[in-house]
Amino acid sequence: MKNNRPKPFFQLVFYALLFVSYQLAAQGQAISGTLTDALGPIPGVHILIKGQHSGTFSDQDGRYQLTAGVSDTLVFTYLGHKTVELPVGSHTQINVQLKEDVTALQEVEVNAGYYTVKERERTGNISKVTAEEIELQPIVSPLQTLEGRMPGVEVEQGSGITGLAPTIRIRGTNSLRSDGNHPLFIVDGIPLNSMPLNSVGELTSQAGLDPLSTLNLNNIESIEVLKDADATAIYGSRGANGIVLITTKKGRGNEGRTLVDINLYTGISQAANKLHLLSTPQYISMREAAFENDGVTPTEGNAPDLLLWDRNGYTDWQDRLFGASAFSKNINVALSGGDQYTSYRIGGSFHKQGSVFPGDLDYTKGTVNIHLGQLSKDHRFKLDLSVNYGVDNNHLFFGNNFVNSALVTPPNAPPVYREDGSLNWENWVGSNPLAVLEQPQETKTDNLLANLGLSYSILTGLDLKVNLGYSKLDNQELIKFYKEAYNPSLWDFIALSTNNFSAKRRSWIIEPQAAYTRTVGKLAVDVLLGGTFQNDRNSYLGIEGRGYADRSLMDNLASADESRILANENVDYRYVAGFGRVGLNWDMKYFLNLTGRRDGSSRFGADRRFSNFWAVGGAWIFSGEKWFKDRLPFLSFGKLRGSYGTTGSDQIGDYGFLDTYEATSGAGGLYPTQLYNPEYSWEVNKKLEAALQIGLFNDRADMEVSWYRNRSSNQLVGYPLPAITGFTSVQANLPALVENTGWEIQLSTANIRGRDFSWDSSLNLTFPNSRLVEFENIDRTSYANRYRVGHPLNISLGYRYDGIDPETGLYQVVDVNGDGRFNNDDRVVITDMGRAYYGGLSNQFRYKGLSLQLLFEYIAQKNTSYIFGASAPGTFNNKPVEFLNAWERPGDPENIQKVSQSGQARTAFNNAARSSLNIEDASFLRLKNLSLSYHLPGTVLEKLNVRTGAIFVRAQNLLTFTDYRGLDPQGGTGAVPPLRTITCGLQLTL
Amino acid sequence: MKKLWMSIIGTALLQYACEDFVEVDVPDNKIVSETVFSSDELANSAVTGIFNELFNRDLYNGDFRSATMLGDLSADNLMTTDPNEQLVDFEQNQVLVGNSYNLELWSSAYNVVYMCNAVIEGLRDNEGVSVELEEKLLGEVLFVRAFTYFHLVNLYGEVPLIRTSDYRENDLAPRTATTEIYDAVMEDLESAANLLGAEYEGGERTRPTKFTAMALLARVHLFLEEWEEAEILSTQLIGNNGMFSLLNDLGEVFLANSHEAIWQISPLAGGALSPVTHEARVFIINAPPPISQKPVALSSDLIGTYSPRDLRREHWIEVFQTESNAYYFPLKYRTATTDGNVEHSMAMRFAEQYLIRAEARAHQGKLPGAIEDLDKIRERANLEPIWNVAPSIGMEALLDSIQLERRRELFTEWGHRWLDLKRTGRVSEVLGTIKPSWQDTDALYPIPEEEINKNPNLSQNLGY
Repeated sequence: MKNNRPKPFFQLVFYALLFVSYQLAAQGQAISGTLTDALGPIPGVHILIKGQHSGTFSDQDGRYQLTAGVSDTLVFTYLGHKTVELPVGSHTQINVQLKEDVTALQEVEVNAGYYTVKERERTGNISKVTAEEIELQPIVSPLQTLEGRMPGVEVEQGSGITGLAPTIRIRGTNSLRSDGNHPLFIVDGIPLNSMPLNSVGELTSQAGLDPLSTLNLNNIESIEVLKDADATAIYGSRGANGIVLITTKKGRGNEGRTLVDINLYTGISQAANKLHLLSTPQYISMREAAFENDGVTPTEGNAPDLLLWDRNGYTDWQDRLFGASAFSKNINVALSGGDQYTSYRIGGSFHKQGSVFPGDLDYTKGTVNIHLGQLSKDHRFKLDLSVNYGVDNNHLFFGNNFVNSALVTPPNAPPVYREDGSLNWENWVGSNPLAVLEQPQETKTDNLLANLGLSYSILTGLDLKVNLGYSKLDNQELIKFYKEAYNPSLWDFIALSTNNFSAKRRSWIIEPQAAYTRTVGKLAVDVLLGGTFQNDRNSYLGIEGRGYADRSLMDNLASADESRILANENVDYRYVAGFGRVGLNWDMKYFLNLTGRRDGSSRFGADRRFSNFWAVGGAWIFSGEKWFKDRLPFLSFGKLRGSYGTTGSDQIGDYGFLDTYEATSGAGGLYPTQLYNPEYSWEVNKKLEAALQIGLFNDRADMEVSWYRNRSSNQLVGYPLPAITGFTSVQANLPALVENTGWEIQLSTANIRGRDFSWDSSLNLTFPNSRLVEFENIDRTSYANRYRVGHPLNISLGYRYDGIDPETGLYQVVDVNGDGRFNNDDRVVITDMGRAYYGGLSNQFRYKGLSLQLLFEYIAQKNTSYIFGASAPGTFNNKPVEFLNAWERPGDPENIQKVSQSGQARTAFNNAARSSLNIEDASFLRLKNLSLSYHLPGTVLEKLNVRTGAIFVRAQNLLTFTDYRGLDPQGGTGAVPPLRTITCGLQLTL
Repeated sequence: MKKLWMSIIGTALLQYACEDFVEVDVPDNKIVSETVFSSDELANSAVTGIFNELFNRDLYNGDFRSATMLGDLSADNLMTTDPNEQLVDFEQNQVLVGNSYNLELWSSAYNVVYMCNAVIEGLRDNEGVSVELEEKLLGEVLFVRAFTYFHLVNLYGEVPLIRTSDYRENDLAPRTATTEIYDAVMEDLESAANLLGAEYEGGERTRPTKFTAMALLARVHLFLEEWEEAEILSTQLIGNNGMFSLLNDLGEVFLANSHEAIWQISPLAGGALSPVTHEARVFIINAPPPISQKPVALSSDLIGTYSPRDLRREHWIEVFQTESNAYYFPLKYRTATTDGNVEHSMAMRFAEQYLIRAEARAHQGKLPGAIEDLDKIRERANLEPIWNVAPSIGMEALLDSIQLERRRELFTEWGHRWLDLKRTGRVSEVLGTIKPSWQDTDALYPIPEEEINKNPNLSQNLGY
């Protein structure tokens, strides 16, 4: 048994098992043979003579026959197996055993940023998704592809609006500052500002725009997420929140031949859910009851819905305002080729997506990407150039999202349009909900990312490298205010105006590096030394133009009568670092990895700019020990690893240490715009991790269990201040310690592996735990009423709900200290609003050419109740149907308080909204992704003259199982629910 | 281990070579505070900045969240015509602790206090500004600070008295007794009156003078029932008829730099492209309500106080008639759309000084003088002088007439009515009869909940 254990080096050489038997044969003679794999003969293998178009297929028994010359080479191709090329020579019979194209998990190369490491040898925690999984999803943001696929990684697209930045949290929230939790994004070695782009639009301002939206999903080779100290410390001050490494596809030398990849799909999306709201008669009777209960006489002023509006009118506002179908289409083409020294890949894509809102809104995106690789003949000099360019254009409107309007607009509200097609204003209270469409917002982004990597091997084992990166992102936002957005009575007062914003991000980075590898006996050493110089300039310019003669002139600021600068900022950020890594291993069994970095950042005051970060990681492959080999023969791989180290965060606004004045918008004035603090410095994040990785039954089942603990101290915050200080926050370090701990489990199994049928599963589970460990004198800070020591950061502090008062019929909450008021002292119910646990389960089935992939995401969490997304029962505005069961007399079910508009009733309702009554279970199981593909059989491919081809149907957010009663368990009640998307398409390689 | 690292990194020569690299210049849209207070020109800009920003700060600007709007809604001069919950809360005297307008009102006042304190400290800590200018600038910001605290103390009662820009001293400041706040207001105003000159620069009445400070001081004494001082100060204003007068044409009172203005806030300073007052934009009704941008109208209660011959009813009030309703609205500011600026928002007006002196004199038993002052206002409005109709009017009746005249004269200007009802102790008596949910504790707005959340030392007003 022990002799059967593969030695590590053998594992590096992908099971190069190839059996060839041959006989002599004459030139241009018939050649025949049998093709098999581990399971027996294979029918349908494509056999081609290299450089020609002629070929054949193997029959039911795996036999084939063709005629070829002595100098020809045969190419054997079969789906899911490695392609084999064999020279004919003098053989007349060539039997081949094809090997399944499955790289053993332990052999996968993992990108660790400045270096790569084999899965088996890594000492840090790195999760990876590859192109195959990324391509399966009909979405726009690369980050969304991580949803449900990685333990310890929370990705949430808060709303169904395309182009908005998803939130991503790696191992929880480390910083008390809400914008201090972004991971570092690195695309092909270039750091990309992970802060969402500012947008002024009401739809877009909260989440901001996704800085990664202009990447082409089909051009991503892999996304790696670095989580623990060992993996992140080499990024020093910027590694505190983890790192997302995106690697784009490279060309591969292909003996001078060119491959063309084509991928097309088209699809349809709809809002996945709607609420049940009151019908017109139900609404009217609720309103009438409110006036009766309060003893108030309805007037046109306080009850336009009862007196001015059609009491029989009805509009399904959800249908009207977010019920449209959004169509999408996507085209992706890539060319690649080259030889063993030169390779290239050139690609382009176009994506267009409609909107579920009324009006002519859409999102379009186009990308171009180029990669060039060159290797000198002596293999010493290497060049890698990659350029990614993308443009997107988002047509939206300036206004609140329609979801809120759809949920609150009374069902008998007047029609939105008049017969002549213009907006109807008669009797609308406030504004016609569709008026915002007359305030179109167009947001365009274009993003160039260029990276040049040069390396030269001066001695054996010693490479000098330099990475040069440049990124340029331009974002333009134009909002046009047509006067039709207002009540016609105001038109005389309204000049046509525009708001034009432009944001620019420019960044260059130079990273010289030296890498040295040497093996002495059983000891292998890997040393990397490097430095970083980075310069970022972010600019922002806002201009208001007024007094355009006509709508058609509003694209040009010169057509405005007057214009003024709303804002103009140029922010410089500079960053410098030296870093190093020493990797040691003994006998490929014991691994030690040391990393360190010294960083300087311009975001801090003069004396606080530099700091050191470091980490130690180690691993022991115990399955390499004789003791384990003897006793646990079913264990094909076993590793224990652990790491500890520090990283930091400088994610805070620039220049907060300066006491400065800016110009007022009125002439000749200066005014202070912020409080300043010269003393703040780095946030420190200490990470500890221990993990066990095992492979069972010849790696048919792989499992990794990790435990982590991240402790963030010296919290750098926009410290909230009461307005009496003049402003509402100041940047400062806080004596607070936040701890995130958790267990992560990843399990992948090959359940069935057959020729015709196979089934693979992979499961990930995360049990996160976050806690504010200490916070000295929290009671005397402005955080006193937001956080609780000993509890998670994401908590809700609520009153204790006390049922409905049998006398007034109103909600009651407990006045805990009995002082006759309801205030923070009474908010004693602490609810963890974060995820209790979450996970993803992916199953992949393949039957012959047909494959099916299902990804389920499960999250156990709580959210606020949709009941309190509405206003108090009886008030103007529509309500969910549950409000029909409002309390009327003692003994009634206590769901909804009495129908009343009195101040007392509204206060009671608002108090209940801040009580335990407002928290609901919002756990859900969602079929995030379904993908069904059919790979065209060889005979069809032959006829079509293509290499590979598949047709597919894919669906996103197809099903959600939850007890939550709001629009969406993740987004709550106010946001556009995630879209349910179904696409079908075609993939071809020529 | 750490040592190994330090030595490796040391060789990277980071410490010295790179320190310069991470030194960035001050961004091109900012000037550091020290530079600002190193020259006359820049220091003057810092104070101009405050006056510019007043047009953009809620308390001061006459828009939805201003003292003008919220005060008159809380009293009996305005009513809502649009179901805007935040405003309806003020109208019904049911301001919730979370009311966002209330928070903005409060926050804007303290932001202005910060700007004033920063200038005071900047002038104190830096040399380079000429003594003459320093005195003027100091006087101006002291006035603005006093003006702000006057409103804060009247709207909220005890409030934190913030006199430094250092947030480390302020962030947990408790509330200060109202007497202490009034002392500070008077101290600031007396200093301002000493430091400031008598003339408006370039005829622009947008920066305060010695007389502006005295005019506010007269009002403060009136509010503190220090009748004698109030009379002396208002007399000094009224005596200065070269600079101030009551305009006979009521249509001209609110024009920019009108002779009746003691201090105005200019829409030009706000930097908006269409320099019209917020009051004109918000109050003038030109389509059937409800209109969310124009959420209020004058109450019928106020309209009922005017006699048909009252010129103020004719000039300052207009009606919008729908089929079923008549909506009365203020027309003190007439220009809601324009290419040039013709009106300024009136912050302090000369007519008030006559009313202050009338009241101060009446309380001291100087009835003839009081009647004379009151009649100045009445006569201009084309009302019969008291002197003719009731020359022997008693003190109480005269005081009532003065309050009525204040209401009719000063409606929709900084919430005078709300403050007058409260300081004369009639607020519950008057509002209790017309506002069903009135409670005595409604006389003070709640301290915004968010402020209490962030500063546990702040206590809440009674009744909230």
